Amino acid sequence: MKSLTKKQNLAPYFFVAPFIISLFIIYLYPLISTVIMSFQEIVPGETEFIGTKNYRRLADPTFFKAIQNSVIYTVLTISLLIPVPMIFAAMLDSKSSIGSRFFRSVFFVPSLVSVVVAGTIVRLIFAQADTALINTLIAQFNIEPQNWLHGTRIHAMFLLLILALWRWTGINIIYFLSGLQTIPKELYEAADIDGASTIQKFVVITMPLLKPIIVFVTTISILGGLSMFEESYILWEGISPDNNGLTIVGYIYRKGFQHGELGLGSAVGLVLLIIVVFFNVIQLFFRGFFKKGAEV
Amino acid sequence: MNEPIKQKTISFSILVLFSLLAVVVLFPLLALLMSSFRPGSDLMRFGISIDSMFAAGKNLDNYKVLLFADKALYPYWFRNSIMILFLQTTITVFLTSLVGYGLAVYEFKGRRLLTSLVLVLMMVPLQILILPLYKMMISARLMDTVAGVILPFILSPIAIFFFRQFSLGLPLDLMDAARIDGVGEIGIYFRIMSPLLLPAYGAMAILEGLKSWNNYLWPLIVLRSNKSFTIPIGLNTLLTPYGNNYDNLISGAVIATIPIIILFLMFQRYFISGLSSGSVKG
Amino acid sequence: MKITKTLLLVCMALLLSLPVFAGGEGESTSGPAEMTLWTFQALHATLFEDAAALWNEANPDRQIDLTCETLPYEDLHSKLLIALQSGVGAPDIVDIEISKFPNYLKGKVQLEPMNDKVEEVIDDMVASRLEIYSKDGNYYGLPFHVGAAVIYYNTEIMDAAGVDIDAIDTWADYVEAGKQVVARTGKPMATLEVTDQWSFWPMISQGGGDYLGPDGSTALDSKVNNEVLQLQYDMLYTDKIAVKTPGGNHHAEEYYGAMNNGDFGSIWMPMWYMGRFTDYMPDLKGKIAIRPMPRLTPGGNRSAGMGGTGTVVTNQTKHVELAKDFLAFAKLSEKGNEMIWTTLGFDPPRWSVWDNPVMNQPNKYTDYFANDDIFGLLLEVKDEINPVNITESFPLASELVKTQILYQALSERTKTPAKALADAAATMRANQ
Repeated sequence: MKSLTKKQNLAPYFFVAPFIISLFIIYLYPLISTVIMSFQEIVPGETEFIGTKNYRRLADPTFFKAIQNSVIYTVLTISLLIPVPMIFAAMLDSKSSIGSRFFRSVFFVPSLVSVVVAGTIVRLIFAQADTALINTLIAQFNIEPQNWLHGTRIHAMFLLLILALWRWTGINIIYFLSGLQTIPKELYEAADIDGASTIQKFVVITMPLLKPIIVFVTTISILGGLSMFEESYILWEGISPDNNGLTIVGYIYRKGFQHGELGLGSAVGLVLLIIVVFFNVIQLFFRGFFKKGAEV
Repeated sequence: MNEPIKQKTISFSILVLFSLLAVVVLFPLLALLMSSFRPGSDLMRFGISIDSMFAAGKNLDNYKVLLFADKALYPYWFRNSIMILFLQTTITVFLTSLVGYGLAVYEFKGRRLLTSLVLVLMMVPLQILILPLYKMMISARLMDTVAGVILPFILSPIAIFFFRQFSLGLPLDLMDAARIDGVGEIGIYFRIMSPLLLPAYGAMAILEGLKSWNNYLWPLIVLRSNKSFTIPIGLNTLLTPYGNNYDNLISGAVIATIPIIILFLMFQRYFISGLSSGSVKG
Repeated sequence: MKITKTLLLVCMALLLSLPVFAGGEGESTSGPAEMTLWTFQALHATLFEDAAALWNEANPDRQIDLTCETLPYEDLHSKLLIALQSGVGAPDIVDIEISKFPNYLKGKVQLEPMNDKVEEVIDDMVASRLEIYSKDGNYYGLPFHVGAAVIYYNTEIMDAAGVDIDAIDTWADYVEAGKQVVARTGKPMATLEVTDQWSFWPMISQGGGDYLGPDGSTALDSKVNNEVLQLQYDMLYTDKIAVKTPGGNHHAEEYYGAMNNGDFGSIWMPMWYMGRFTDYMPDLKGKIAIRPMPRLTPGGNRSAGMGGTGTVVTNQTKHVELAKDFLAFAKLSEKGNEMIWTTLGFDPPRWSVWDNPVMNQPNKYTDYFANDDIFGLLLEVKDEINPVNITESFPLASELVKTQILYQALSERTKTPAKALADAAATMRANQ
């Protein structure tokens, strides 16, 4: 930054102007308006302030279930979609790997598939009929055909996880691969001389140095997990049995657009915001983000 | 066991593991493709099975109906998706690169605040704002328009962050040299720096393009008439027990997927190196 | 620099392309009036298309160019809600399913009242079918059918089991016959929906039960509802004469396939289900006999008026009078009601046509079903139909039945029938 002169007073603002404008239009104004809406009852032609009624109505078991589902989904996706792609990336990056360029492309392909298409495929291979692929597969192990889509809560979460794993593993592998390339190879050579095993090298060198990437992937996974909606909407057309697939955003959509209760939907949106911020603060705290001198 | 043999064993087991995984990963797409030549209602009844994939009686009827039938909607959806993809990607990449670049190379009042705001907004799911954004689109008369679909996404904080990280690595002495030559600040970006940003453009174009191609919730709200749907929105309208449209659903899903995969395979080297070179630092 | 130019071009292209979708809605003064109609049921679209053709023949000076769009059930209803709230994007005419209808009657109603059309003919109609789509004395939705619940027997299976379907008078008889069917053929007597309401709602309605009371209060945990849900539970798990419907409901491809294959002995659904047999279960042609529902109690009702779709004209149409006249023609006129039977196989709500000769002429429905006189059956049970209460809480009640009560009590058995009903009723009361 030393080479910067302070003469160019206006130029920086030209560059960041689009962001400042969008900050007001896309974030700030809607945020204020969602706060206001959350205290209103909005029906066509009649809008009135109803105090905190919308918030009191959130004491609804369906909403709690939506929060539970979203949180469980987020925790499970993070606990799978960080270690698995990280290990795969390390394997792809290692000198023992043959055809690593081919494999990382293959693993990336599913993230090109639209969620509607992916959801349709899952519905078809996990169909209820005992002729469907997965049911014939598990029959080999003497497991009875399962009603995946309309089964238990575990079935529902399982399908959502499969979908997430299939679609996101490849993209996270790419993130971790890009991080691995920043690790100096000399570190590994030094460790080799000390006679460290592959696993030791992974734990002592790779993982700590990948920390920035891990933070990044965790952040976007929290965001993606807690705001998940499409997957469940496609699998159950908006209404899942016993709300087993209902997520927080699904609840916003249901209240706002299916029941026409924009005020209540806004209140849910704000609750979601608080949950997301809470999760992120916790994870940043644990990663020492708030320590003095941490680089932004 | 001596070292080279051990090395080879490891290589071999990794190869076997990855080959198996590759089969598992690609199989669903293959199954979709092979099933798309069969009647859609059969698939909904019996699911995709090995039998149905290899069954006789395959034909192209599903595709003919999808693309060439009277009042076929799929060509509209495809056109809309392509148009939105193109506009959203170019505008997003252009604007976010300006912002990210500005935040990275200039020292100015409010820089720290704006940078932190970008980081904070990366953590805000846009979904919580769909209701007020929707009300806004109504008053701005942008419902059922392309602008309405792409507007909330053009300043993606993640893309800004990516460009900022990338721009931090730009050679700043080039800027000083250009200034001495009398090039303005905006000229510096366009003439000197933008070629250096090419890998970043490439990576973000693909990520933002993917996001646009697959965007679902917001277009579902904004788009109304069935000729203005995008492919994902349109495809989902076929997934209904009351419509008898399963033939179109499966073949439509294939056509929505295959071109993207081919495009990716053609440009993958560029993409992956672009993403890696912009190595994301927390 | 190339990139600069490209980007500038792109920005211009954006500006130019903005009105692409916004256009095309312009009003043309000459030529047929363009109208859009949304439905969630592809079969309904055929009725409206046929009606539009007839209308255009009869009204050369008031031509309609009707475009029917079939959207998924949930999509249609949420898109319509959005469109009516936002004041743009609604179609001229649209089908709204009964479970969702009260959502559109909140606040200032964005639909056109049909009173002037309805009042002309209401004496010839089953009035309760119009009242379920009304608010404050305004009639908004026009019905397709009475929706009389009946039971469809697979006669091949009944004969193989030696069951005489005409001897089945009560549900107790039905369960006994079911045991005989299971014992002799190994096939379940019935399938019960666990993700939709058409197995449950008709049976409670037979016994005078409902989701809501006439004043809109919750009636989900009523005694009749408890008895019916327990009876269904017993059919599945105690008497083992029924199974959960493959695919969860009677509109799933999985069900059509299995039923068509002759896997199940019978099914009770409203009369409007006839079209699903003819269209999706061709192999059962000639083997299906329609009978009144078994009675819940001796001397009780043998049917129930179930489901329905109210077709409405929205206030966003540019041709209010034309749209209303056309809709009245399709849904209220004698001709329209005859077509409802001949094209859709529904029991039309205008009872004055029930004994018209056309109702007894052969068509694809009379050809398919083993009955001699389908309408005779309807006339026989028409006084055994209780009204249903559709008020503001109905969408929530129906959602609870579809997603929680049946699933918890019948499908996964995580709650007893009584507990599932009580919990849902508590949820309702908390929301009221």
